[in-house]
Amino acid sequence: MSYAPELVIKDLHVGIEGKEILKGLSLEVGKGEIHALMGPNGSGKSTLANTLMGHPKYEVTSGEILFKGESVLEMETDARARAGLFMAFQYPVAIPGVTVANFLRTALNARLAPPETNGGGAMPHKRGIAPKEFRAMLKERMGLLKMDESFAGRYLNDGFSGGEKKRAEILQMAILKPEIAIMDETDSGLDIDALRVVSDGVNALAGPAMGVLVITHYNRILNYIKPDKVHVMVDGRIQVSGGADLALKLESQGYDWVRDGQEVELS
Amino acid sequence: MSTTPNLDLREGYTEKFGFHDTEQSVFKSRRGLDREIVAQISEMKGEPAWMRDYRLKALELFEKKPMPTWGPDLSTIDFQNIFYYVKPTSEEARSWDDVPADMKRTFDKLGIPEAEQKFLSGVGAQYDSEVVYHKIQEKLEQLGVLFLSCDHGLKEHEALFKEYFGTVIPSADNKFAALNSAVWSGGSFIYVPKGVHVDVPLQAYFRINTKDMGQFERTLIIVDEGAFVHYVEGCLPPGEQVSLGDRWVNIESVRPGDTVMDSDGNEAQVASARVRPFKGELVRLVPVSSANAFQVTPEHPVLGVRRRGLTTRRTARGTWLREIDNDALCRTRPEFIPASQLERGDFMVFPVSKITRPNERFTREVMRLLGYYLAEGSAYVHKKLHVPVVAFSFNEKERETIDEVKALILGITGKRAMEIHSPARHGTEVRVYSQDLLDLCVEHCSRHAAEKRLSKTVMELPAPLQNELLETYLKGDGSVYRKRKHTMVRAATASQALAWQLQELFARQGHYATITVRKGGKDTILGRTITRRDQYILYFSPDREKSQVRQGDGCFLVPIKRVERTPYEGPVFNFELESQPNAYVARGFAVHNCTAPTYSSDSLHSAVVEIIVKRGARCRYTTIQNWSNNVYNLVTKRAVAYRNATMEWVDGNLGSKITQKYPSVYMMEPGAHGEILSIAFAGHGQHQDAGGKVIHCAPNTTSKIISKSISKDGGRAGYRGLVKVQKGAVDSRSTVNCDALILDEKSRSDTYPYMEIEEDRVSIGHEATVSKIGDEQLFYLQSRGIPKEEAAAMIVSGFIEPIVKELPMEYAVEMNRLIQLQMEGSVG
Repeated sequence: MSYAPELVIKDLHVGIEGKEILKGLSLEVGKGEIHALMGPNGSGKSTLANTLMGHPKYEVTSGEILFKGESVLEMETDARARAGLFMAFQYPVAIPGVTVANFLRTALNARLAPPETNGGGAMPHKRGIAPKEFRAMLKERMGLLKMDESFAGRYLNDGFSGGEKKRAEILQMAILKPEIAIMDETDSGLDIDALRVVSDGVNALAGPAMGVLVITHYNRILNYIKPDKVHVMVDGRIQVSGGADLALKLESQGYDWVRDGQEVELS
Repeated sequence: MSTTPNLDLREGYTEKFGFHDTEQSVFKSRRGLDREIVAQISEMKGEPAWMRDYRLKALELFEKKPMPTWGPDLSTIDFQNIFYYVKPTSEEARSWDDVPADMKRTFDKLGIPEAEQKFLSGVGAQYDSEVVYHKIQEKLEQLGVLFLSCDHGLKEHEALFKEYFGTVIPSADNKFAALNSAVWSGGSFIYVPKGVHVDVPLQAYFRINTKDMGQFERTLIIVDEGAFVHYVEGCLPPGEQVSLGDRWVNIESVRPGDTVMDSDGNEAQVASARVRPFKGELVRLVPVSSANAFQVTPEHPVLGVRRRGLTTRRTARGTWLREIDNDALCRTRPEFIPASQLERGDFMVFPVSKITRPNERFTREVMRLLGYYLAEGSAYVHKKLHVPVVAFSFNEKERETIDEVKALILGITGKRAMEIHSPARHGTEVRVYSQDLLDLCVEHCSRHAAEKRLSKTVMELPAPLQNELLETYLKGDGSVYRKRKHTMVRAATASQALAWQLQELFARQGHYATITVRKGGKDTILGRTITRRDQYILYFSPDREKSQVRQGDGCFLVPIKRVERTPYEGPVFNFELESQPNAYVARGFAVHNCTAPTYSSDSLHSAVVEIIVKRGARCRYTTIQNWSNNVYNLVTKRAVAYRNATMEWVDGNLGSKITQKYPSVYMMEPGAHGEILSIAFAGHGQHQDAGGKVIHCAPNTTSKIISKSISKDGGRAGYRGLVKVQKGAVDSRSTVNCDALILDEKSRSDTYPYMEIEEDRVSIGHEATVSKIGDEQLFYLQSRGIPKEEAAAMIVSGFIEPIVKELPMEYAVEMNRLIQLQMEGSVG
């Protein structure tokens, strides 16, 4: 059987305000795979995550991003999301006055009944999930993440603690069921209990239908989420790729050996 | 052809369709303002001398007072270019019994005293400057509630009126209050006696305006001790479709500036769109063509002719009603009749579009080919060959047609079409590879069967050209057969939009086609389950002399088959047109607009609202306005609240060129509470200077102001407010929250909070925030699949949520919808 990766990044060059951050990054993530992308601060990890999602601030100067075989470079952020790309934010943004439940239902309906499928009229016809069915689904997924029911009625990320924000990100992932999920430093700012809950959530969702790219500075989260592959990124490029044990080596030896261009033994 | 009632809907709208009878004494003041005009207004109204003097004195004050310069720029208002008064009828109604017979017929047309209007507790009908009739539901009348026009209030209840008029807002208050005091006309006068709770909102509706007419209504509300009233302004429910001439849209998506078809079949600009919540029975009018059925609120005026009085002695035919005397019908002018008054057999007016714009590109040949395409064509890009394809499917026996189509294609594109034969299906496909033809077909007829509809260009071509299209279309999707002695033409389409367009095109050919719907759904054919689409079937008989439908000049008169009533709770919509007749077309039939003045050039709306809330009483005044963007909306609203009384203003300002409105509450005695919830939304070219004032004049009074202003596309919105605590008003508490949201770099927000606190022992809270819709917020919502525009609307809805959640459900839904409409197309 031929291997057709869901997400293919080819020789990607990305700049911000004229400064090149990614300098020829290539990476492939297949369905059902968990990849970890590690690297020191400033190596371009978050730039990659934001570029994949189509943040307007980042400019792709060359290279290609293919999702399910199609280039996403010309697609708006929302179209990428509806196609099945997802990013868990490092710093989720507060939207006062909009409840978690209302937001999630709007997002889910966009994913279920994308505007591009109904003619793009001024008043797109709304199909999507029935409110009752949605409530049941929300309750079930919130249970999975050990979230209180009242959470659904709170305004999105407004006054949330760090842990609540990250849990809300995983809840969104659980509702939207992406095909590729990018976790941008989801472990930062989490205490050990919250980290466990978040990781359990990701593990429960990961499976043959979803590929995950875990972006992290520390390998702490990799104690809970077992990657199939680990990539080390330094200075805008992936310098080394390997198995799960690569993360352990990074922990004991830091990033300097990668930076120095040493050979590394792959298991 | 049957006798043609001579109806020219275009001519002399006011004389024909205004609520006038034979004797007209229409008075329209000349443009401009001086003592003579003011005195004339007073005289025309037959006012007592004190009111005339009051007006004249106010005029002096108006002339003396300088234009306010502390707010938006008002220097462009041309006071001399405005009509200050138009008197609609020779006399105003007093009580129902006093109404003269011809007048009564007019009011009967308005249909207000019908006992069946159970829900509608109070109604004010404003025609130009004056409210022509006000009627209170009997029950409320028994309770002693007065709800009349302000003019009528002065006549009928002079002592009460005089006691309160001008006491809350004296004419010297400000320049515009002085102007209103000098020229006021219309508005409502409400008195709620002690302890009476009016548990349904009192509403005012119908305002029909003359071009360049100023609107200076005056409202005086007195809520006596322990009483309660909620006053709102406000008419079709969502989902009803109105004609834009070439196509039909849902009424709720109509916005100021849109072009719609008016009841004469001409184009008209929408001046303002309105919405209000409604609870009660809606009237569904089902004409002979059942797919043209539509729903309106009971009081909504529909252009029609009553059958009553027109019938002949001949007995009814079959199941239908007694025959109509055609001559009598011919003599009868259509008039606006409230929907609730219409009965089975009455006629509704189906105007025929008069919009014609020739276009050289559309030759007879192009139209014939488009007709074939509409019926049998498809256009697509070939998947494997990547070439543009336009294909027409025929039965192999239709040789003549096939040859014609091939010849047309050759003539138009210069390309030779090929024939593809499928003997198994006895089919012949005519196919041509032509980008030009594909573009033409898709642009003017659309692509898929269920979505086929004609372009505006085609709908506006001269009727003889359109006939070519109809002819070839009928060869494909139509059939002609004999029924009894008549030729019947039938056409079927899966596209609702096309069905209505065809109806209009046939109407332009002089045929009224009825539309019926054959409901789709699951069906089983040869053991296979298939899903059928709804089919819209048009019928007409070109040679039938007697028909239930009568043809007029420029319109058809279509009888009503059924009138249904259904309970409904939710928002209802309406809009105003820029030009006369201020009436539009709903599902093919002319209905009148309701409510809200309309302005065609920069116009002035300067109302005064005075409210007295006595001890222990409560009053809520709700307005959600969406003015046309050329209106100066300068309104003075003020209430006084006595011991333990509550006054609440809920004020939503979405339209206008400049709005200056600061509803205020004077808390006169201990325990009084004032509340102002204000939303201002300023788009391109708009300046919303809104806010509120609370004046604590007694100890232990409380107040709350919540203001939310939003600016986009270079608009300017702001909060201007005053919290004043007078000497002695100890232990008063006030909180002010004003938040501004700026949607782009071009837009602006201002906050001017004024505080005048003359006591120490008070608690005053003030919070103000200014925020921008951030790129990060948009990116975040978009990253979850929500399109940019919807994301921005979501952020705005979230922003006003603290006020919206205070509104009753239906207002809340509506407010969010209006915001979404405002946000459409606003983010690049």
